[in-house]
Amino acid sequence: MLRVDHLFGLRGVLSWPEPLGIPPCVFFPSPFPFPPHSTMFEARLPQGQILKKLIEAVRELVTDANFECKPSGLSLQAMDSSHVSLVSLLMRADGFDPYQCDRNRTLGINLRTLASVLKCSSNDDIITIRAEDDGDSAILIFESPSSDRLSEFDLKLVDIDNEQLVIPDTQYDAVVRMPSAEFQRIVRDMQILGDSVTIACSKDGVKFSANGEIGSGSVRLKQSSAVDSEDDAVTVDLQQAVSLTFALRYLSLFSKAAPLSPTVTLSFSKDVPLLVEFRIADMGHLRFYLAPKIDEDI
Amino acid sequence: MGIRGLSQLIADVAGTAVRHMEIKHLFGRKIAIDASMSIYQFLIAVRQADGGVLTNDSGQVTSHLMGMLYRTARMVENGIKPVYVFDGKPPALKGGELSKRSERRQQAEESLKTATEQGNQADMDKFSRRTVRVTAEHTAECKRLLTLMGIPYIEAPCEAEAQCAVMAAKGLVYATASEDMDSLTCGSTILLRHLTYSEARKVPIAEYSLPRVLELLELTMDEFIDLCILLGCDFCDTIRGVGPKRALEFIRKHRNIETILENLDPKRYTVPENWPYKEVRELFRSPEVTPVADIELKWSSPDEEGIVKFLVTEKGFNEERVRSVIQRLDKARSDSTQSRLDGFFKVLPRAPADKAAANKKKPSAATTTAAKKAKSLKTGAGKR
Repeated sequence: MLRVDHLFGLRGVLSWPEPLGIPPCVFFPSPFPFPPHSTMFEARLPQGQILKKLIEAVRELVTDANFECKPSGLSLQAMDSSHVSLVSLLMRADGFDPYQCDRNRTLGINLRTLASVLKCSSNDDIITIRAEDDGDSAILIFESPSSDRLSEFDLKLVDIDNEQLVIPDTQYDAVVRMPSAEFQRIVRDMQILGDSVTIACSKDGVKFSANGEIGSGSVRLKQSSAVDSEDDAVTVDLQQAVSLTFALRYLSLFSKAAPLSPTVTLSFSKDVPLLVEFRIADMGHLRFYLAPKIDEDI
Repeated sequence: MGIRGLSQLIADVAGTAVRHMEIKHLFGRKIAIDASMSIYQFLIAVRQADGGVLTNDSGQVTSHLMGMLYRTARMVENGIKPVYVFDGKPPALKGGELSKRSERRQQAEESLKTATEQGNQADMDKFSRRTVRVTAEHTAECKRLLTLMGIPYIEAPCEAEAQCAVMAAKGLVYATASEDMDSLTCGSTILLRHLTYSEARKVPIAEYSLPRVLELLELTMDEFIDLCILLGCDFCDTIRGVGPKRALEFIRKHRNIETILENLDPKRYTVPENWPYKEVRELFRSPEVTPVADIELKWSSPDEEGIVKFLVTEKGFNEERVRSVIQRLDKARSDSTQSRLDGFFKVLPRAPADKAAANKKKPSAATTTAAKKAKSLKTGAGKR
């Protein structure tokens, strides 16, 4: 990224307005001509498509979100507008190459804009996110693998007033792991029948059932005994049988994250939100929480 | 009604304390509704095409029942659990305001007569709305309807707003729904305006958060109450010459009405004689309410035949329509309800540092450059 004042740093002094008194190089005491700014945030993601898939997965659930940049990594937490579900993203610093963050920064970004900008990148591009310390924008740089094409986008930051939730550590009654494509398919199939699905975990496996005006249906998955690849296996880690009902609309939005990871983990406990987790190859996770539907007698 | 100019002041000074939302975002919330205010709204707003109130064949007014039935059903369908709160006896201090109101109503009645004689339709419409009064009969009918619908209601010992406020403050309900800004002065942590507006008007619901209002106005609750008294409430007059802007400025500077009075320039401002601000303040601080521990809220299934008997047989409503509303109520109740995530996970209080950063974000560029300028000026001067 080039800035005029980097290239013409010293000459700029000549035109520096008098009342300001002193040349800009005092603020940026770095060697000419490419001064790395004293402090800024920069994260270079060699597998740029991860970011593309991530944003595609959450953009319909959350319109604006604050990216929290910390020395340990990049994270995001946001609820959908009706406060039924929550997205929690973590990308650890070691997944980037390099990752530079000297102080905590919050980058408020409109995800729809971000998604359309990311569409301008190719799947094998290396993506860099950068933010100047006092800047009011985030900079996205797409670099082709052979480094012969470089595109740069400047995204205006937005002020987002979002409530942060404290998510307690939970020992879940049942943890189901299955191929994420399977999850996506079941959610799609269940939507034909109704708008909510009941998921029941028992020692035999896991059963998804839905019913609506046209009829009812269910899909039962047994724990796989022997499969070639671990990614194709269905496993149920059960402490206690549990059955909960959820709105399919949200599960369907969550299942858009399937391209991120070959497997998905669903964790259930009675009367607590469902946790749907997609691992991001060696660097973190994308988690969704969904409040259950409850029958209440009032 | 309410606090004069408070909503404007909040919009100007504490805009981010107000959030706009659709009714569907409130699902799963228990909400206390100022009943007298709603009935009044229904009598004014639920009208025929020619502007007259809805009446049945025998000439009885039915606007309030129509409004109560449909708008309550809409809330229940959206997963809201409403509880209506009715006014008890008016506080003694409200006497002045009440007699003013009845005077105005009398004037309107006279104007209505003249308009009717002259046959001026627009004026008739206007003045007939101004003559609207919620009678004991209206209230009783609404209570009967609510009981049949399985919706709880509470009779406040005094002002309904104060009762709603204490219920919201103690967490018995999520919010108070009213158009009156007094609800904030009485201490409702959250106030919802425009909840009972008709769907057709497409007015978004405005959610006022009292803690945010106080934070952004930089006032404590007691100071906020004093501010509201200065702005003008239903219970006493205000200091002549002190408008919203000055009121806020004075409160921020002097922190209470006593100190303001000591420092007030008597030539510029006239303080009402025997100004009962202390009593009014007391009324806001500790109003007469039923303690929350004594309140039990219970929502139950609608009594279909009971509603049909009341509304169709006695009041001449269309049976088909009434039954369809009841079916909708029943369906909303039988569906398992979606719970809210914030019911499981605690909302993290905004960290003060973050808040400052968030507040500063917009002007931050300005302030930092200003700081830089200042700095550079200094260093520059030093160099010279």
